[in-house]
Amino acid sequence: MQAGGRVLDPRQRVAELYKTYGPAIYRRCLRLLADTEAARDATQEVFGKLMRDARKLESRESALPWIYRVATNHCLNLRRNAGRRGEEALPDLEMAAPESPDLVPERQLAQRVLERFDAQTQAVAIGVFVDGMEHEEVAQALGISRRTVARKLQRFVGNARKYLTRSAP
Amino acid sequence: MTRHPSELALEAYLLDGDASPAAAHVAQCEHCRARVARMEREGEHFRRFVLPATLDSVVEKNAPRRRSPWVWVLAAAPAAAAVALFFSLRPGEPPEGYTGEKGGMSLVAYVNAPGGAKTIDEGEAVRPSAALRFTVGAAGHCNLWIVSVDETAQVSRIYPAEGGVGAKISGNRVTLPGGAVLDGRPGLERFYGVCTPDPVTYDKVVQCVRDAVQTAADVRKGPALSGLPNGSRQASLLVEKRP
Repeated sequence: MQAGGRVLDPRQRVAELYKTYGPAIYRRCLRLLADTEAARDATQEVFGKLMRDARKLESRESALPWIYRVATNHCLNLRRNAGRRGEEALPDLEMAAPESPDLVPERQLAQRVLERFDAQTQAVAIGVFVDGMEHEEVAQALGISRRTVARKLQRFVGNARKYLTRSAP
Repeated sequence: MTRHPSELALEAYLLDGDASPAAAHVAQCEHCRARVARMEREGEHFRRFVLPATLDSVVEKNAPRRRSPWVWVLAAAPAAAAVALFFSLRPGEPPEGYTGEKGGMSLVAYVNAPGGAKTIDEGEAVRPSAALRFTVGAAGHCNLWIVSVDETAQVSRIYPAEGGVGAKISGNRVTLPGGAVLDGRPGLERFYGVCTPDPVTYDKVVQCVRDAVQTAADVRKGPALSGLPNGSRQASLLVEKRP
């Protein structure tokens, strides 16, 4: 690999990639896990997954969406597994600032019921409600169609409302 | 004002602010500047606390395994060398810019086998974690590098194991101290021996290999390396790592 005009040996190459993309991975993990220790461990694990196809990290354009996807899936799995094992719950996710006050109830709804949905639906909901992404952006980052994003989001909001209605006292 | 950029868009902004479409928005938006400042603080936390504590282990886990030194079986060397087949530069027209000398160098690899060391033929299968050793034939004095390249175009340093330039050798046939243990991953691997009249850096040799070998087909074909200094000699040998 050439980086900055230099030819790096494999170990230097790994170190350079980790220094370049480590902060982005760490921030993503910190956002989803809301715990610095958990984020530190997850960052190393996510980087290991990314290195299995390190060529995707050679272009920044392709690297960031891929990091987003891998880190999101990894951290959502950690949250889900922690819940299943009955471990102490990870802190709630911090929602993106809504563009419109109308979206506030939907964001609160998302926070309360997120972990009841499958991984891809969770990732879509996180992209929209936590990261403040447009549907198109979520679709690109997750490698799915915009139509799928819209469908999953619609189903997510609908089912979440039903769930909350049923569980209301 | 435009819509607030997403976290992903701000990550792109942090990596390259000038090229980011979010730059104009961030410049005008106090809320997004605060988001960027927070992301920078988190990045700084990573660099100050996480990176120093994890870098070594991350590199260790994710860099391709280095080949470890291999102890020569000195007693077997003379007999093996006597029956060695020498692999000189593959026939065919050299590429533009090629400055090596055809036929001026040989590279022989050996592997342990029942009954003693055995030479490896071009393309011959060996165990993925086999231990190899090498004999180089290059008349006169020169500076030797041996590197290998696999199907993913990953280049590995074989000899010399340390130092910034090739090792000085002289003599018609030189048995190299040390050896190489293959990385355990099945697939093709081509070894290149390069002998230059003046010392060249490892980076220079890696660059020549990367220019010539980019695909598995290239590894199999073994194109001559171009871009080496005038008077350089080279030879290559293909092995197949097969369980």
